[in-house]
Amino acid sequence: MENNSKSFKYDGLLRQNIVLSGGLVTASVIVACTTMMRAFVLVISFFMISYLSILLCRFIPKKIAYSFRTLLYSLVAAALFVPTAFVLHMLFPGTLNEVIVYIELMIVNSLLLAKTESRFYLIPYGAMAADALIYIMGYALAAFAVGFIRELLAYGTIFGIKISGALMPAARSPFFGFIIVGLLSAVSKAAVIHRKER
Amino acid sequence: MAEVFARMVSLVMISVFTQNAIFDRAFGVNVAIYASRKNSHILGFTVGITIMTTLASAAAYPFDIMLLPSEYGYLFMPLIYVGIVSVLYLIGLFILWRFFPKIFYQVKKYAHLSVFNCAVFGALFLNYNFGKGFAGYVGYGFGTGIGFFLACFLLNVANDRLNSDKIPQVFRGYPIMLIFIGIVSLALNVLVGYTAEF
Repeated sequence: MENNSKSFKYDGLLRQNIVLSGGLVTASVIVACTTMMRAFVLVISFFMISYLSILLCRFIPKKIAYSFRTLLYSLVAAALFVPTAFVLHMLFPGTLNEVIVYIELMIVNSLLLAKTESRFYLIPYGAMAADALIYIMGYALAAFAVGFIRELLAYGTIFGIKISGALMPAARSPFFGFIIVGLLSAVSKAAVIHRKER
Repeated sequence: MAEVFARMVSLVMISVFTQNAIFDRAFGVNVAIYASRKNSHILGFTVGITIMTTLASAAAYPFDIMLLPSEYGYLFMPLIYVGIVSVLYLIGLFILWRFFPKIFYQVKKYAHLSVFNCAVFGALFLNYNFGKGFAGYVGYGFGTGIGFFLACFLLNVANDRLNSDKIPQVFRGYPIMLIFIGIVSLALNVLVGYTAEF
């Protein structure tokens, strides 16, 4: 029972990572996550829009048909976008402008529209809050890993600090994003398989 | 008239090839991967997404013209787009339920997936940058749906091979699919001699 509860709590980090395993929220990481700073801004946005939406939408009555609840979830997320974008505009105006489209798209992310129904809203509120937070941390893990690799390869920097020359400028292109996320996905799958075998 | 038509056609071509929702922007990758598994899904999703992007783009045009030039207008666009898409979604569901009940019961399970996704909302968010005028908006919206079909078709063709035993277990499924999309994305970039600045 304890083991079940443990795996239930932490599987959002790797085994069911929404970027590397489930592919539920990938666009922002694949295209926009080219530096650590961008990854940071995306993670903050994802937390403020998705996590708070998940917590708030729990109060939408289940009596409403799923087809209609989906639209209400998106409306709540769109309302949360307003303060999120406003705060980020004050703190990181340059970076926000570069990734704004992908932050706007977080209002229809599958963590909110699909995972809520299949997982989060089937468990008690406290457990749900913790579980959703683990999923957000899983997103952060993937975003920072991709941001780190791409920034180092494309610009030769980490958080803007010069480490080396730009080894592979094409690393900031969308096609490289697909390939690197695909490779990291395979690595995470191998880690999960290895852990299972042990 | 001819100029308007030419503008519309050029925007369709741009959104199918140079700004393909899946290969260039990664909008709705998870939906495309899901839809590409079955031929019937490809058709259903393509029709749903194309109708929605075309109509929603047309409906969003006046709001974009009014709000986006102002400094903080962009903050409210997600709310407006969710409103527009929700109204169209409900009208669509009503028409299907009232006049085509068989189709309604077939598609109601995944109708929301073909509407509330990054491909549809991505087209709306990018329209202002690329659409330029009502005809351009409609052309870009329509082209996004056709671009989605192209992506699903290519993924469908490769699906069996990418999931065969010849692929190492850790790469099978989602990882190899992403790498495949990355390679097609690279090929399209080279073909059109264009790279998105990200």
